[in-house]
Amino acid sequence: MSLRPREEPKAAADTGGTRGTARAAAHGAARSREAAAIDRLVYRVLAVGLVVSAALLVTGMVVWAVHGGRLPGSVAGPWRATRQLVGLQPEGFFSLGLLALVLTPVVRVAGSVAVFAKERDWRYVLITSGVLAAMIAGLVVGAG
Amino acid sequence: MTLTFALIFLTAVVAGLVGSMLGIGGALIVVPVITLFLGVPMKVAIGASIVSVIATSSAAQLVYVQRGITNTRLGMVLELATTLGAIAGGVTAVLISPRLLQGLFAALLLWAAWGMRRRSAAARPESPTGLLDGSFLDRATGETVSYGARRLPLGMALSFVAGNVSGLLGVGGGAIKMPVMNLFMGIPLKAAIATSNFTIGVTAATSAAIYFGKGYVDPVVAVPTALGILLGAQIGPRLAARLRSQTLRLLMVLLLLAFAVQMAVRAAT
Repeated sequence: MSLRPREEPKAAADTGGTRGTARAAAHGAARSREAAAIDRLVYRVLAVGLVVSAALLVTGMVVWAVHGGRLPGSVAGPWRATRQLVGLQPEGFFSLGLLALVLTPVVRVAGSVAVFAKERDWRYVLITSGVLAAMIAGLVVGAG
Repeated sequence: MTLTFALIFLTAVVAGLVGSMLGIGGALIVVPVITLFLGVPMKVAIGASIVSVIATSSAAQLVYVQRGITNTRLGMVLELATTLGAIAGGVTAVLISPRLLQGLFAALLLWAAWGMRRRSAAARPESPTGLLDGSFLDRATGETVSYGARRLPLGMALSFVAGNVSGLLGVGGGAIKMPVMNLFMGIPLKAAIATSNFTIGVTAATSAAIYFGKGYVDPVVAVPTALGILLGAQIGPRLAARLRSQTLRLLMVLLLLAFAVQMAVRAAT
């Protein structure tokens, strides 16, 4: 896939200027295999992230309903939240559940970099690495 | 406390449903309702809205990606522009007054609403262009829609702006990205919705740490928001699949107008 100008004739354009229909067909097959791999990865990462997050939040609700008590006004960082979770405090479950939710897109992007690298699609390795770098920069700036 | 919790949850179910149907994050639905009617402070509402955008994106993608409606490649290209915009937003935040920004955002939303309304009158068929081509099955018509992207540089520039604004205002930017894809880049409405939904989670996650770090994320508000959204955003995409594009377009125009008014009010007060 190359980012071609918009007025390109449609039929051969997706081959990125490859000559010969056999090569074009092979190229197209590799692309659709890659697209399927990306879709599978996105689905799996999001499904796991959501299940983990929802499980933590719901468990936290149950613990909160049993123990009661006032919750702190803001979520804790990962280390403190883990200690709270081990101590069966609801805020630990809540903080980690919300954290899992926020980190799911980060894992999704990191996984995409790996899939594109495996497919040797360097253009998209570069694009998704750029996205990952920006996300990590955002996390570091926010946490600091 | 329990009643507030339940009301926030219900608000989030609706926001998740509507947001996931239209490719937006629901921040602009959650924030006004919980601040105006439930007395939640603005900062806490913005913290919850960042969570709601990420939850909407992740939950709705389970449906959109599985059905092959999301154009993941296009999404990733636009994510690059939008995350860089979000990072730049953190830098420019000190330079621009929030009031000016809200006013500009209101104008942008009005412009998008105008464009979306006009497009319905003269909808032209989309076609593959060889650039980030995609195709999907439209369940409302039973037809397979094939298309390609146009004007990528313009799309990326506007996505950068959307990321910038979203970083500054704590919204996902879907209300800009979805119209941009549909109006400028020739992406069919349903693919634009799914792909916009795909990108907003990444934009929001990029600026989320800032809101977590500042202590804006209050579990009493954020937890029912997240749980409600997770439910609503599972229903939204399934419902949207049955609706015709014209219906979704009309809903989007109405919502964009409501958002524009909201932003204009924030700017003026």
